[in-house]
This record gives sequence, C-alpha cells and structure tokens, in this order.
Amino acid sequence: MNLLVDGMSHIERPITARAAQKLRQTPPQLHPAQLVSNMWLQSALLVAACISPAAAIFSDEVNHIDFHHALLGAPSPDSTFFLRPSAASNASLLYTISDRSILGAVNPRDGAVIWRQNLTRFGAGAGSAGFMRGSDGSNAVVSAAGQSVSSWSAQDGKLIWNKQLPGLAADLEILELEDPASKSAAKDALVLSGGEGAAVLRLLDGDSGATKWEYKDDSGDLPFQVSSSPTEVFYISLQSALLKGYKIKVTALDPVTGRQTRQTVLSSENEITGPESVLHVGSNIASPLIVWSDKAQKALKVNIIGTKPVMTLNIESTSQSTRELQKTDPAALEIKKISVHAPQKLTSLPHFLVHYKTAKGSWAEVYHVDLKTSTAKKAYELEFAAGQAVFATSNVHANVYFTRISELNTGVWSSASSEAVSVSRADGWAYDEPIHAVAEVIPKGKSVAVRAAVLREHGVWELIRNGESAWVRHEELIDAVAADWVDHGDQQHLAHELEVESHESLLGAYIHRVKRHLCDLEGFPEWVKELPRRVVGSVLSDEVTNLDSFGVSKTVVVATKSGRLYALNTGKQGAVEWHVQASETAPWDVKGIVIRPGKAIIYASDGSSVTVNTTSGTVTGRFDGQNRKFQTFTVLESNDVLGIQEDGSPASTFDVPGFLVTTSSDGRILGWTAQDNKTPAWEFVPPAGEKVIQAIGRPVHDPVASIGKVLGDRSVLYKYLNPNLALVTAVDEKKHTASFYLLDGVSGKVLYSTTQAGVDSAQPITSAISENWFAYSFFGDAVTESSAKGYQLVVSELYESPVVNDRGPLDAAGNYSSLHSNSGQLLPVPHVISQAFIINEPISHMAVTQTRQGITTRQLICTLPSTQSIVAIPRPVLDPRRPVDRDPTSAEAEEGLFRYSPFLEFDGKWFLTHARDVAGIQTVLSEPTLLESTSLIFAFGGDIFGTRATPSQAFDILGKNFSKLQLVLTVVALAFGVGFLAPHGP
Amino acid sequence: MGSALPPPPPPQWVVALNSPLPRPTKAASSIPDPPGFSSSRGKQRQQQQQPIAKKPEDNDALKLKKAWEIAIAPSKSIPMNAIMMYMSGNSLQIFSIMMVFMLFKGPIQGLFNTNAVFAKYETPTTHARLLGVKAVYVVMQLGLLALGIWKVNAMGLLPTTRSDWLAWETERLPLERASFAFS
Repeated sequence: MNLLVDGMSHIERPITARAAQKLRQTPPQLHPAQLVSNMWLQSALLVAACISPAAAIFSDEVNHIDFHHALLGAPSPDSTFFLRPSAASNASLLYTISDRSILGAVNPRDGAVIWRQNLTRFGAGAGSAGFMRGSDGSNAVVSAAGQSVSSWSAQDGKLIWNKQLPGLAADLEILELEDPASKSAAKDALVLSGGEGAAVLRLLDGDSGATKWEYKDDSGDLPFQVSSSPTEVFYISLQSALLKGYKIKVTALDPVTGRQTRQTVLSSENEITGPESVLHVGSNIASPLIVWSDKAQKALKVNIIGTKPVMTLNIESTSQSTRELQKTDPAALEIKKISVHAPQKLTSLPHFLVHYKTAKGSWAEVYHVDLKTSTAKKAYELEFAAGQAVFATSNVHANVYFTRISELNTGVWSSASSEAVSVSRADGWAYDEPIHAVAEVIPKGKSVAVRAAVLREHGVWELIRNGESAWVRHEELIDAVAADWVDHGDQQHLAHELEVESHESLLGAYIHRVKRHLCDLEGFPEWVKELPRRVVGSVLSDEVTNLDSFGVSKTVVVATKSGRLYALNTGKQGAVEWHVQASETAPWDVKGIVIRPGKAIIYASDGSSVTVNTTSGTVTGRFDGQNRKFQTFTVLESNDVLGIQEDGSPASTFDVPGFLVTTSSDGRILGWTAQDNKTPAWEFVPPAGEKVIQAIGRPVHDPVASIGKVLGDRSVLYKYLNPNLALVTAVDEKKHTASFYLLDGVSGKVLYSTTQAGVDSAQPITSAISENWFAYSFFGDAVTESSAKGYQLVVSELYESPVVNDRGPLDAAGNYSSLHSNSGQLLPVPHVISQAFIINEPISHMAVTQTRQGITTRQLICTLPSTQSIVAIPRPVLDPRRPVDRDPTSAEAEEGLFRYSPFLEFDGKWFLTHARDVAGIQTVLSEPTLLESTSLIFAFGGDIFGTRATPSQAFDILGKNFSKLQLVLTVVALAFGVGFLAPHGP
Repeated sequence: MGSALPPPPPPQWVVALNSPLPRPTKAASSIPDPPGFSSSRGKQRQQQQQPIAKKPEDNDALKLKKAWEIAIAPSKSIPMNAIMMYMSGNSLQIFSIMMVFMLFKGPIQGLFNTNAVFAKYETPTTHARLLGVKAVYVVMQLGLLALGIWKVNAMGLLPTTRSDWLAWETERLPLERASFAFS
C-alpha cells in the first residue's frame, strides 16, 4: 500500500492501423518510489473525501430512489418447502433451490430474500438439478448439487459444513429418525450419489458432515431415490429388465450400520420406461409409497416400500361431475398428468392424494393406507373442477391437509373428510399456469388459514394467502440478456404540433397555438379536480417534488434468454408493468433492442424481430429470420435498422453519410462506407498473437459542457473531443499482455496505444470511454522488480495540446477531417495523460453516468463481482493530473487536485448498492433524465438493480429538509401579523 | 487778490490722527498697554486696504496656486488606497467589494465634477492656464481609477484570461462521422 505509482508516459505518434504492431509503448511502470507514512495516506484520503462531490445514499433514500430484485432463478419443485428456521421460531420461511443452483430463504410475508447462497462456487454447474431438504426442529438445511453437499444454518444461511463427493448427487433425504445417542438437534443426511459404475449411498453426520456409513451398489443399476421409514432406510434403484423397461429394486438398509437387511424387486418393467415414469416415492413417513401407473393410465400401481405386494388401484372417477362429463364431453376426462401428494412427516397419518390433470380441468382422489393390512383404500373424491389447479400437502401434527389452488378458489380439505375445511375465492389470476405449490395450513378454530407458494410457468413465483395474492416474484428476470429504456411516446403529439407551428406563418402559427391551448383546456376540469390531492400530496409526501414528470420514472424493457419480455418501471421500485412471451425459440439470442416512440423492436441473432407495444405489452408484429447469423443491430441516422453479420459486414448497403465501424468474428475492427458492404474501407488488425476482446465507442449521447479544462491559474487545457473515438482492447494470452488502442472511427488510424505487461487474461479486463477520457481495468502481475501486482485501474485523459491555452495544430479551425489533408485540417493525435491506481478487487463491467447536458461531473460506474456491488467512482478522484510525490500547489488545490495515492480505496459513500448484495450483474445502463443532476442507473444480468445517481449531488431538486408546510405557515403567519399591526382607519 | 489765501494748516490733533503713532520711546514701550487697547487697529485697516489695492495679475497667480493644490490632492490618497486595497485581499467579500466600489465612485465622480471643482478659479484670464491644471487633475483621478482596475483584476473580475472566453469557443467538429456497431 505504501507505494507511489508513477504517471504513465504518453505517446504522440501518428500510426496507421497496420503499423500498430510495430508500435510498442513502454508499459506503465508501477515502482516503489517513496515510502509514505500512513498518516499521510490518511490525510490524503481525508482530503479526497472532502473534495469528492459524490454524496452517500442516505438511509431514507433506500427503496425510494433505488430498488433491487434479489433473484434466485426458477425454484425447483421438489426442493421447495416451508420450514421453521429454528425450533424456537414461530414463523416459517420458504426455502428453495433454483435451476441456477442458488439456495434461498424467502420471507413468506413479503417475498424478500432473507439469505441466498450460490452453489456454483462449490462446483455445482448452473442448470444441474440440485436438492435441498430441511427438517422441522433442526436449525439446518442441507443441499446437494453436483458433487457438493452442504449444510446451512436455516436462520441466516451460514455454511455449517461442506463436503465434496466423488459422484453427482442423485438424491438427498434427511433421516428423521430419532437417535437417542445423539444429543444435537442436527439430523443426519442421506446422500445418494451416482458415479462411475457404482452408486453410493452415504449417511452424513448432521453436525460435521462426516460419513457415518456408506453403502455401495455396484450392480450397475440406475440410482434413483432414497427413502426412509421410522425403522429403515431404503435405497431405490431401477434395474433394467431383459427386454425393455425397468424393474424397481428396493434395498432396505439398517439406519445405524448401513448394512443391507433385505432386497425386493418389483416387476414393473411393463410400465416403467425411465425415472420419469415413477409418479411418487414417499419418504419420512410411517408407510412410504412408490406409485406408478400403467401405460394406458387406467390403473395406479402402489407399493408400500419394503413390502413385496403391489396394489392396483383402478382409475375411475365415481363422482357426480365426472359422470356427467363422461356423457357430454368424454375427451375432457382424458388424463394428461397424474401426480401424487403425500405428507412427509413420520407422525402424520398415512393418507395420500392422487391428482388427475386433464386438458380442461382436474379431479383428485384421497386414499388411506391401512398399515395393518398394507392396503390402500379410496376415502373420497374431489369433484372435477374446470381450469388449472395444483395441490399441496401440509401437516398439522398428525392431520393431513390438502390445499387446492385453482383459478377460482383456494380450498383446503382434511384428509379425513370430504368436507372442505376452508374455501376462499380467488380474484382470478393474471399469471401463467401453475406447476407446483407448497402450502402451510394453520388451524383457526374450525376453519384454517392457509398460505401457499405457487410456482408457475416462466419462473413466476407467487404467494397466495387465503386466496389473495400476497406477492409475486419474477424469477426469470435472472436470465436477462438485454435491456433498454423505453420511450413511451407521450411527448410525440406535442412535438408534432410544435413542428407544425414552426413551419407556418407567424399569424398561422399564432392561431394554431391558440387553438392548441383551447384544446388543452379540455383537461382543465380534471386538473382542477386533481389539484387538492396534488397540493396535499406534495406537502405530505416523502419527496418534496414529485419527480416523475422529470423523466425519473422510466420504463425499461428487459429481454430474457427464455424468450420473455418484461417491462420494469424504475419509478415504482422496478415493478413489473407487463410481461409477455415474445419468442418461442429458446434460447432467445437477443442482439439488439431498438426503441421507437411507443414501441420496442427486439432483434435476435437469426434476424427475426418482435415488435411490442411498450405501454400494453402486446406483441404487434413479428418478422421471421432470414436464416442469417447476426452479431448485432444498429440504428442508423436515417432511423433504419441495420444488421451486422458474424463476419462484421453490414447485411446491406446503407444510405447514410458516414462510416460504420464493426467487429468481425475473427477479431478485426472494420470500417465501412455507405456504398460498399462487401469490402471494408479500412480494417484494424491487432498484432499477431493478440485477440480483440472488447471494442467500445464513445456513447451516442455524450454531451460535453465545456471544451476545455480550466486550470488553477485560469488558463485552459483544451480537451481532445472527437465523437469518432473507439477503444479496442486486445490481449495476448501467451505473452500475458493487454493492449489498448484508441482508434479514429473514420480513418481507422491508431491515435494512441498502450500495452500492459503481466496481464492475466483470465481475469476480467474491461474499459469505458466518454468525453475526453477512457478507463480500463485488469489484473497485472509483477513482471519486473518495480512493477506492482494487483488489480489496476488506469485512467487516461486526452488533450489537444500539452501546452495551456493552445488548441494544437488545428488552432482555431472549426472543422477537421480524418481523411482529407487539404488546408492542413487533418485530425491530430491527442496528448494523453495517464495515471494508474491499484484497486483491491476486479471490475467486471464499466459504465459512465450520463446526464442531459453533461454539466454534472461524471462517475465511472464499476461492477464489482467479488463483493457483489456496484461502485460509482467520481471522476475528480481519477484525475490523472493529481500531483505525484508532492502536495498540490495552491493553484492545483484551487482546481480540486489533491495528492496522488497509488492505492484507490473505494469509499463507502461511492457504493450505489450500499448494503445490498447485487449478484451476477452483467451490464449497467445509464440514462439521462430531464434533471441535469440526475442519471438513472439500471443493472441487469443476474439480479435487477436500479437507482438514481447524482454525481454532483441533487443540486436541482429541493432537499428533503425543505418543508413546504413550514413555508406556507410562515407566509400565513406573516400575513396575519401584518394585518394585525396595520394602522386601522377611524 | 486777497481771496487766494492758502488754507490754514490742520490742527495738531488732525495731524496726529492721520499720522501713525510715533514710535514710543524705549521707556514707553516697556509700559504695557492698558487692557482692551489694541495697538494694531490702525495696521489692520491698512492691511485690509492692501488687496484691493493689489494688481489683478497677483490675484490670478493666487487662484492658480489654489487650483494646483486641488488638482494634486487625489494623488495624495493613492498610497493610502493602495495599501488598503492590498490589505483587503482578493477574495470577494462585502468589505472588499464596498471598498472597491468606493474606489471607483470617487474618481468617477471627480471626473464628472472637474469643471465644477475649478469653477471658482475660473476667470477669463485664468481660463487658459487652468486647462493644464484640469488635465493634471484628470490624470490623477485616472491614476486612482487604475488602482481600482488593478484591484478588480487582482480579484479576478476582469475577463483577461483564456478561461474567461472559453464559453464562446466552440467544439471543433469532424467533417466525417462514424457510428459504432460493436457486438
């Protein structure tokens, strides 16, 4: 930390693209120059903190200016459950493991994530089926994904133990058995893992994860499930029969020693073709069942695990409604899916429910198992109900309750009687088809209260409390691949009217305007009606001014990999305004979102496009692909959309003046003119061995308020402002170098280049460019004695001339050309000042805040994946002109420069995400608002996060401490006082 | 003729009245005058009569002398003002602003009142010679004004540096534009 870093040298040599290879600039050397006492560093940081214009986010702004969707991914139906996190707690939490291998505990009250853990860091591949089990009364939940088995504290998600097993986990179960020898509450876990040839069932100690015993099955059978009864542990495997199908093999094991006690093979080869044919395997119950059906779905086969006999239950509905339906619409009774719901608690009654789903509705039957005779008997039947429904099982002590959640209502039945315990009408749902539900039933006198977490298609997770939707989580947003700000086109009409006025004669325009204003009076009564509410609202509301009309409340359209579109409103804490299935092709490879007033057009890599109305979310148009591969889409000045093919060439010629710069799949940068889409006008090829990994151009909206930088002595350093600048990053994996090339987008000329040595290309390398500066970050290893090892952030500023008050070779010329050298107006090269900083963590993505006029200082927004946060570094801190090895002179201090310190510690106030854990962010978008001070930030890719950045503080917004009420009262009091003291006439 | 008789000599008291007091004898001069007696009464009368008796040329010289004094007067306040301005610092505060305002107000008022200041010394004869005096007066006031301008400049209120004109300079525009379509 006590290092001082030298400023990087700069070059001023014009070089052509082809000759870039020859040009190697001395890499910036980080060398220990001088020891700086800690006191010094502290004081420097203190000064930095004082000068830094960025203000922290105040606690009352949290959830007001920012929002965060902490996402898990689509929950796995088998591993979602309600559980009391500890024996002492009354309320239960909702636990799940998602398809992204993220474990999470969700508060059932509001849907907030209490804790989550990403198992991929333990080697569980995303998308691999994971398991999660918990047991009431123990303080831990156990997960198994891939090769890793872990136990987590149910309360706060802290890791208790983690164990890596050789095979992939195939099933996980908690052994509910009471072990009198063990004092601890933690329960042992049974893990079944498949492997090379042999399946291994292990009993892992609940406290330490140590293997208590293991049972190896090297018969080559398909390891299927683990089950347990109060006395035994069952290992269920599928033994392939001679001809086709599978036999179910049940091996009973002693729970203490793990020795095999007996083995039964059930002849099921005619019915079972694979693991998916088995409808249900019970566990942790007095009489665990295996249920499967015959192929015609006419009969259910039920076996009590550990016994030999297989019961056959005929599927025939005897209820009134099905009999009637049989006559009128037999097709409606054709079974599509059978599911079996049984309680999973040792003490519960041995009852189970079979749910028959047809295309038009569903019915269900409840069976009771007689433990003495080992037979199942139908107890009652639930009438056929039209529409989609799901069932969930819950226990209250020994009683079993079945909850049915359908479009119409939420009903709860006790397993003992066919009378519904509670039925609450639902308000009809607006969401997709339900897949799975878990429910929690609490008896309240004769009735019950029920809350059910319903997993619907497309990752919609909803909690229904007594028939009413309490919250909805859109877990599919975790797959967001592209997003853009929507233009609702509200101002479109006015803009058109103003356009008309500007083209008319003076009198005509005046008449038009008067007419327009008269038309506007239509809304006057409503405005007056709204007025009291607005006045009261503005006095009482949290925010002094409602900023929605200043562009702070914007809609973002988000496209996900699975083909869905979401519209999130940044003004309403990121609430989902609408969502629609825009594409059936999965994965949907979105390459560009084009925003037009009132609509958004989403382009996929195959050239297909979907047009969506941004206010309603209805798909208004589709265009099929042309079977070409596109890498990106761009909007030309003429508002036409142009596709860029994989090889970097535009799909067609374009009729717009100017040049188009693209990247090709083989890592070249190509420049195109309008007339020719076959051969590029220029190309930039990095030197041999180097691979282009990133290319960025200056943003389209990048206004510059001042063309020069005023120094302390009031002289001017002129900024090198060129809208055609592109920054290309290329890495050489063998030589461990990273090169950064600043290109002119018109001629392809390299204006500046720098090469960093000792770069680890496996670590994130990212860059950003704006105004007259660019920044990049990488991990640099110590290659020489004097260089530094660590994550580095380098900032370079471009100036027209190193001399103050000098505009470089072009001087006062108003224009310049990159191509034609007549009259000496050729584009000069910039004067570059660079500075490197050591940072303590990698940056995976960079963006720059955008404001309306660019007057506000910019912030460099960096995504920090290791701390799962987003930090906005103020530009003045990153000024490369900060004095090195000395204190600033008074003129420099006046300019706001302070002493350079090589280690850049991220100030807590810079974190846009403050205390939040914003995980998996891929991209950060910034959008100007009508307020110059404010820039909207939207981050997506994993979680969804949005906030408002005010780099120079909210100077154009009334602060929260401004009390309108106080102002009004003061005026009233003054008026009263004046009236009271005024001289009164005779 | 008997009628052409010379007038009789004036009486002694008349002669004594018209002639100055005889120089008192040494002994007499040592005697103090009685209270209330002023021996200079006669002298004063004589002195008062003198200017009236003076020539107009002497009068003009006196006026010019007086005018010169007025013309030079502002220069005397320059050192004091300079020290005050130096001491008050270059920051924009109410005191320094007020002082600078006064510094400007004085000379400008003085310049406008040039003729009024010299009006009482204006005679047809002195008119030509006063022009020079007035010029010096104006120069002196301008000197004070220069001091004010120096001060204002030191305070950074004069647009003398490049940065003051930066807002009027425009961004250099490229003749060709490139758009980026990076994936």
